[in-house]
Amino acid sequence: MPSLKDIRSRIESTVNTQQITRAMKMVSAAKLRRAQHNIVNLRQYASSLLSMIADIAVTQRVSHPLLTRKSDPKKILLVVLTSDRGLCGAFNTNINKFTERFLRENRHRFETIDCLFIGRKAADYFKSRNVKPVDTILNLARDVSFDMAAKVAERLIEAYTAGQYDEIRLVYNEFKSAIQQNVVCETLLPIDIESAATLNKGTSGFPPDMIFEPAPAEIVEHLIVRHFNVQVYRCMSESVAAEHGARMTAMENATKNAGEMINKLTLTYNKLRQAYITTELIEITSGAEALKG
Amino acid sequence: MYTLTIVTPEKRLVGGQEIEEVFVPGFRGELNFLPGHAPLLTTLGTGVVKYRLKGENQLRYVAVSGGYCQVQPQGVNVLAEIAEPAEDVDVATAEEMQKTVEHRLATESLEPEEIKKLQDELARARARIDAARGLRKE
Repeated sequence: MPSLKDIRSRIESTVNTQQITRAMKMVSAAKLRRAQHNIVNLRQYASSLLSMIADIAVTQRVSHPLLTRKSDPKKILLVVLTSDRGLCGAFNTNINKFTERFLRENRHRFETIDCLFIGRKAADYFKSRNVKPVDTILNLARDVSFDMAAKVAERLIEAYTAGQYDEIRLVYNEFKSAIQQNVVCETLLPIDIESAATLNKGTSGFPPDMIFEPAPAEIVEHLIVRHFNVQVYRCMSESVAAEHGARMTAMENATKNAGEMINKLTLTYNKLRQAYITTELIEITSGAEALKG
Repeated sequence: MYTLTIVTPEKRLVGGQEIEEVFVPGFRGELNFLPGHAPLLTTLGTGVVKYRLKGENQLRYVAVSGGYCQVQPQGVNVLAEIAEPAEDVDVATAEEMQKTVEHRLATESLEPEEIKKLQDELARARARIDAARGLRKE
């Protein structure tokens, strides 16, 4: 049977843990609000930029290396986006599981599947499973910056245009709501414009007297790299918002569980204390009885 | 209704307000759009967007860089990479920036790539100063 002192110290440490988880929940909630606000705007920006490029490319028949789909993709680069820090529930596990399954199922379909890990959690997970990444990018700044996303984007474009890969896919957590994140595997390159175009191929789409400055091909050329940067930035921001959401939920559960634990321990503590008192009383009274008799 | 929207990845600066006219730094220089302008699509240079809201006499200024501008019968959409309203411009920092960049361009021997980068930076600093000046003049 544990002593009173043992239980007391366990209660104390649980209370401390609860304080930490509660604080973490608050912090995540605040960060989530900011990230969420950011994303709403970014999504809209990204989608209007993409549909603009798609409309021009489709109606004006502009072709660009980043838009051309290869008929038989052989070399794939999988970019895996996780967080640097844990304590956020199934956030990273879902991504890692998905990636592992993808690698297993598609090993024979493609010639090579390379991985690029962004975030420490994927790198750690796959290190022990003998998956060698082409590179890992760690230390995502606490808030993803556009500059950083642009650097990643530049690298991806370079690798793609150099012909190292036929397709670049990104696995990340899409932010649905504070309590829901979806693992998404999105094809980053080539950029899929067919589905993004709002205007139909057959119709002239734009008004016939539309003025393009500079020529449509140049506009596409100019905007496409910017679009890609925004796209990468958006995915990273989604992932960050999803991470905060997941952490907030996980910490809320932890706080609740800690509360339950404290209640349970306090009950045992009180029962035990009562039992001690009762035994002591019995000892005293029986001692007194014995003296009397 | 002739409206103006200016958005950046970070925020929405102007959200469909009705305007009288707008000046945009286009690919080939400054463009002025009034209601009834032909549909147009241009990439944005670095410069100042000036617009006048319906019923106002004053122009408002926004320093922008990168992105595109689309003119439709209903209005003008500006999707900029960077945009800063004149009220938010810190002129001292912008001037400081302009000086250091100008100094570097004049004195250091640089790679063509770096020169391009610095020139872009210089243009952005100038646009910010111009936007703020335009505001002060009124």
